[in-house]
Amino acid sequence: MTKFKGILPILLAVVLIFVFTACGQSKDSGQINLMTWGGDFIPREIIDEFESETGIKVNYKEVTSNEDMQSLLEANPDQYDLAVVTDYMVDILRQNGMLEVLDQSKLSNFSNINPVYQGNYYDENNEYSIPYAVSTSFLLVNPEAIADLGADPITGYSDLWQEELKDSIVVVDWSVEVMGIVLKSLGYEYNETDPEIVEEAKQKLFELADNIMRFETNTPEDSLINREAVVGFMYSNQAVKGKKADDKLEPVFPREGMPIFIDSFVMSKQAPNKDKAYTFLNFILQPEIAARIADITKFTTPNKAAEEYVSEEYKNNPMLNIPDEVAENTSFYINVADVLEMYEHIYSEFKMR
Amino acid sequence: MKKLKQNAPAIPILIWISLLVGMPLMFVVVLSFLSRDSLGNIVFRFTLENYKRIFDPVYLRVFLNSFILAVLTGLITLLIGYPVAYFTTKLQPKKRSFVIMLIILPFWISSLLRTYGWIILLGKTGLINSLLMQLNIVKEPLNMMYRFGTTLVGMAYMLIPFMIIAVYNSVDKLDKSLVEASYDLGASRWKTFLNITLPLTIPGIAGGFTLVFIPSLGMFFVSDLLGGGRTIFLGNLINTLVTRGRNRPLAAAFSVGMIVLVLLVLFIYNRVAKDKGEGLF
Repeated sequence: MTKFKGILPILLAVVLIFVFTACGQSKDSGQINLMTWGGDFIPREIIDEFESETGIKVNYKEVTSNEDMQSLLEANPDQYDLAVVTDYMVDILRQNGMLEVLDQSKLSNFSNINPVYQGNYYDENNEYSIPYAVSTSFLLVNPEAIADLGADPITGYSDLWQEELKDSIVVVDWSVEVMGIVLKSLGYEYNETDPEIVEEAKQKLFELADNIMRFETNTPEDSLINREAVVGFMYSNQAVKGKKADDKLEPVFPREGMPIFIDSFVMSKQAPNKDKAYTFLNFILQPEIAARIADITKFTTPNKAAEEYVSEEYKNNPMLNIPDEVAENTSFYINVADVLEMYEHIYSEFKMR
Repeated sequence: MKKLKQNAPAIPILIWISLLVGMPLMFVVVLSFLSRDSLGNIVFRFTLENYKRIFDPVYLRVFLNSFILAVLTGLITLLIGYPVAYFTTKLQPKKRSFVIMLIILPFWISSLLRTYGWIILLGKTGLINSLLMQLNIVKEPLNMMYRFGTTLVGMAYMLIPFMIIAVYNSVDKLDKSLVEASYDLGASRWKTFLNITLPLTIPGIAGGFTLVFIPSLGMFFVSDLLGGGRTIFLGNLINTLVTRGRNRPLAAAFSVGMIVLVLLVLFIYNRVAKDKGEGLF
């Protein structure tokens, strides 16, 4: 008997794990299952308020990539009600038939969404998605340090190629975005697949190699704060954090235009708790709630009606309170396979030189 | 029949392993022969395209780069780890277990956090640079981050316990009477080490090297954080292809390539260990 002493607790644990996971997914018991980015992307205090107001429990599953969300949703479409995914993923999920066509009659607050953020390529008729958070990427610079290096002030992407900026630029580590910088600086659009244009961009990209000191996706602003870098190309929420930590840093919205990302709510076609999911969506769409979310998360709210309720800090921050005409001068990365294939190869060649 | 009875207790674990290791592995191999559509969905159409692609000169350099990093990590951990392991075995039993505990202790902390620790040490405004500036040894902060060497240091730091433990076991098991015989016959300490201890601990060295080599192929976050993402290793490439690159079949092909690389090292290890009649696996 002593031989099996060690195995018994393990068996017991395995059984318990099965029991608990089975419980967690029971259907229609006053809960919704929500999946999206971690790090308080939908703030805990907002969820708490929703829970105490409606008595509906929110199961918040944190994931780290759109592709993870796609995998989870496609593996168990009946276990998730809502997900917040980035624009291009809405397009993929709807084409794969994973998404519920939203019943506008049940969405009392959809009209609050700014028309600028409606009807984009991934959901022309606003059938599948509700914009939740808007972000852009642009340059965060340290003007003093740039002057010290003897470089010209930076107003757009093309200024990044200055020799004086050797080893002093940090960029997010993603082929499509780095290629985007190069394409824009040459006057082209994102997602180009014309071989000649791509070849031209590739040569131009290689010329940038000496100036990049670091590729960093998660905390590029740190490199500016600790003075390793003088220019950074990063997401708006990171730039906001950088500026807050160090007032000497200034955002530069490149004259060539900038990329935009719209994270949107989508509903699984096989969502087990659809009615409760609508309740949640309506709750989030309320202007006061949307304003508080924007203040906490440091993402631009697509909720036009919320602009009345946002804090002064948000209102006066051009990185967050994007004027509509600026928002219209942005473009999306499409992320289709051909583009990814081509860019990823160029990017690898670029780094392996 | 007798043999079957003897092996019976191993059957559950064999089923377990074939389910949890064998099946995913088969899945990866099958995946590497499939295609994908323009949305990045996997399509069940047989293709050799993925394998053709990993033989692209650029991607071959990624393989080479990872191989070099893994070999260098193995060598550095050996150079530092061997003496540590060797002298640890010479300590009194109580002190010995204390030292072993100190070596294992960092494993209790998330490896990601420990990597950030290196950033705090080596950064431009980091501890080392601040100290050197304070002491007027350097005027400008040294550029120690975001290089190949930084990745190497981080990798070696992360994996050195594997080497130490492997070598320690090997030295510990060493037949002391052979060493004494060597001294009795008038050999010096160095000569004894080179002719007796070192050859007899080669299986330990090979085992440690293997244990360091294999994970160093896959720890992509170390090169992302310390290397500043300036070169690409296999781990980074596979990670990108699986997630935002939306090309799982190609990622699977790279994984198979990585497995082949690992098998090659295991094969060499087996040859070395068999020659000496012992091994870790």
